[in-house]
Amino acid sequence: MATLGPSHYSPYPVAVYENILPPPPGKALLFTEVVDEEVAMREAAKAMLTRENPTIFPGPQVIYAWNEEAKEKARLIRELAEVLEAKIIPMVDYRPKYPKIDPEKEINPNHPNLTIWHNNIKACIFVGVHCHYANVALKIIRAETDCFTIALCSNAGHEDAMITLRDQHAEELKKFIEIAKEVKKEVK
Amino acid sequence: MQKLGEELRNRAGQKIVDPEYLLFEAPREKVFMTGSEVVKEAVKRASVDASVSYPITPQSEAAHLIGELWVEGYVGVYFRGESEFGVMSEIAGCSMAGARTITTTSGPGTLRAMENFPMWAGSRLPIQLVLMARGINSPLSIQPDDLEVSFLLDTGCMVWYAENAQELFDMILAGFVVAEQPDVHVPVINVINGFFISHTRESVMLPPDDIALPPYNPYKAPMPPIDMEMPPGRFLRDPFVMKSNYISYATHTSWQFEVRAAIERARPYIKKYLGSLIEEFGDPEADIVLVSTGTGAAQSKEAVRLLEDEGVKARVVKLRTIRPFPINELRQAVKNAKVIFVPEFNVVGWLEREIRRYLYKHSDAEIIGGPRVAGGMTMPPEIIVKDVLNYLGKEVKHVY
Amino acid sequence: MSINIFKINEDLKEFIPQEVIDLEEKATWGNPKRGVMDLPYAKELLEEHSLCAGCPESMAFRYILASLPNPEDTIIVNSTGCTSLVFPHIALHTVHSLFGNQNAVATGIKRTLEWRFPDKVKDVIVLAGDGATVDIGLDCTLQSFFRQEKITTICFDNEVYANTGGQESGTTVQGHVFKMAPKGKQWPKVQMWQLAIDSGCHYVVRMSVSSPKKVEQVVKKAIYVAREVGPTYLHFYTPCILEIGLNSDDGLMEMRDKDKERFKFFEYVSPQAEEVIAKKKEEGLL
Repeated sequence: MATLGPSHYSPYPVAVYENILPPPPGKALLFTEVVDEEVAMREAAKAMLTRENPTIFPGPQVIYAWNEEAKEKARLIRELAEVLEAKIIPMVDYRPKYPKIDPEKEINPNHPNLTIWHNNIKACIFVGVHCHYANVALKIIRAETDCFTIALCSNAGHEDAMITLRDQHAEELKKFIEIAKEVKKEVK
Repeated sequence: MQKLGEELRNRAGQKIVDPEYLLFEAPREKVFMTGSEVVKEAVKRASVDASVSYPITPQSEAAHLIGELWVEGYVGVYFRGESEFGVMSEIAGCSMAGARTITTTSGPGTLRAMENFPMWAGSRLPIQLVLMARGINSPLSIQPDDLEVSFLLDTGCMVWYAENAQELFDMILAGFVVAEQPDVHVPVINVINGFFISHTRESVMLPPDDIALPPYNPYKAPMPPIDMEMPPGRFLRDPFVMKSNYISYATHTSWQFEVRAAIERARPYIKKYLGSLIEEFGDPEADIVLVSTGTGAAQSKEAVRLLEDEGVKARVVKLRTIRPFPINELRQAVKNAKVIFVPEFNVVGWLEREIRRYLYKHSDAEIIGGPRVAGGMTMPPEIIVKDVLNYLGKEVKHVY
Repeated sequence: MSINIFKINEDLKEFIPQEVIDLEEKATWGNPKRGVMDLPYAKELLEEHSLCAGCPESMAFRYILASLPNPEDTIIVNSTGCTSLVFPHIALHTVHSLFGNQNAVATGIKRTLEWRFPDKVKDVIVLAGDGATVDIGLDCTLQSFFRQEKITTICFDNEVYANTGGQESGTTVQGHVFKMAPKGKQWPKVQMWQLAIDSGCHYVVRMSVSSPKKVEQVVKKAIYVAREVGPTYLHFYTPCILEIGLNSDDGLMEMRDKDKERFKFFEYVSPQAEEVIAKKKEEGLL
């Protein structure tokens, strides 16, 4: 828990206050380091393949069949989960859920830590979550869990994740799947 | 957007160009214009969807001129709201529904609208507000004074400050581009000193008016727009997070930090589209530094020229942005300063406070909060010269 | 496109909670004839919420949401109060912005959606309590009527500030003792429906929500008239059983009592609204 610096006693440290910004176009962020996309994908695959209970959290942009890209991405995410031997727990919407969520089956951006604690998730991938809610959730996770967070973002990325990949579309997902297959051979 | 041949056109029929081309490469022609007229010229080239207006001096003319653009088909939605509180809520509605938006206000209007500004930021609405600063009540004054800016510093909005009509034009265009970046996506308030900029004519270089910024794409925003066209279908913008079973502290704290983080993420984009968060003027070796914004910076530049005649070397560090605050840029720029003057157009010295905060333990310079004028007073460069000469123990000659 | 935002990708369906799948499969989308009679069979657009047990407001919510003729293209703007506790759980795009600015926000949304989607009907509805509509938000409410915004405004009148603990409001009845009126309210109940007529609304109703079918009828009329003519206003009595000391099964009887007095059914229809209603009746939509 951060007790010094601009976050003060808030349990939610903020990466930008440690001068960490999203990666520039064409690059990725590995903790505090700007790296090539392939490097980040390898490390992300390694984290998912070696840590306990790896889980993919798909968000509304890929859960719902609202355009062709979403349908394609959903198929690829399913494939990615199989390669990474990861569970899938959806973030179906962003509402503060009443009376309470079932953390085994859902993740909620307002208390993502419950799902991670409950399922003992040590590595996760955010994909298809709107950036604001991903950022709100990633800050909470960063402070309250030891989960290794990976963000696959179709926009500019998420500096509060441990690995962030930006401009991720179907092509990039396919590339990630191929890299994950290679890494799997190495680590398993 | 419609495709004509190979060219993309916006709904007004203007050719869509890259922001870099519009800002830096397109040929420009010199015109002689007021700040209010320049607002119209910027909006005309910005593929704006919606603007809501309300009369208050000195921003009214700019708002009228945006109305003319609506008549001419350059702006999609335009009307007069009931008060600044209503206007800022109406423009929030436009922005939530996926519009690129701009509005204008001044002084008491800013304070009337106040509850909306943190709401805009918390709702991640990239609304642009052109603020033509004037005095706030009581007593009533319509004259230039920028005290109102201090109230805006912690709203979660970006606050930029233009020195002249040219910079205002460029900042309005850059403002849309930076504020609408998906990882930024917070409001941008472009401040000018009312009357000094809004009502005086100066030379401005403008690109052609048949080209415009690419339209806003609400489907890249960090939250879905309110239009029932993007999932999730079950979506409240923005929910109460106060019930204990929603573990309120987590969401609300993280959310507030996220808004502040968004402002920090604007830094590289501002460098790209404005050049720098600061502008330096004068002899880089000079250890007398005038740090100011807007018209204060313009008058400081003139004071530097006058001081040169007196054999005194001074320079200006103009802050283009207050939020995000150019922390490293300022520290670097005043590295060798012995004394820093902070000329301001208000009685409280909010800029001095900001500068002291960020230079504390980062500069050995003496910081002098002033000269200050307010309530409609002008700031002749001579009063800055006088303060500097007095500080140096030099004779003050032709200064009245 | 709009219904697609509820369709779930087949590849991920097995991981999705049943109630979300039900929204796609069992809710009534694309059917303007949907109504309160679907309530026992169809998936409702409202999930579990946190209103008090037996709260008449929750009944009103269910009837209204079941009656929307075009839910796949309907936006609801809300304000602060008990109603805002329900909004996260409504399966539509909705807004909570500030206390009292709901009609201003709705104005911006409606006008922008008309500009962005000129060929599509997007209904914008305001749904807020009496404090939001009549007290703190009166300016924004009436101004949106003056401007002839094509919005339906629905006020849930419980005659009290309930969410903050029972304070007097503008719609409290004269003499009634609430907090902040410890000697009883000193002035009469605001006749908001009359103000709505005088301010330019084309269809205005005052009633309680004791009859679901009646709610369906007036909601549909109000939305159709707002779509084609201008502002419409529905003033519903949704008593706060907690603040007036009733049990959770007393809400309906309280409304039926008031149906005979200050919430006796009252309807105003402008000549232009008459035409729209007649047309919709011909089309079998009313």
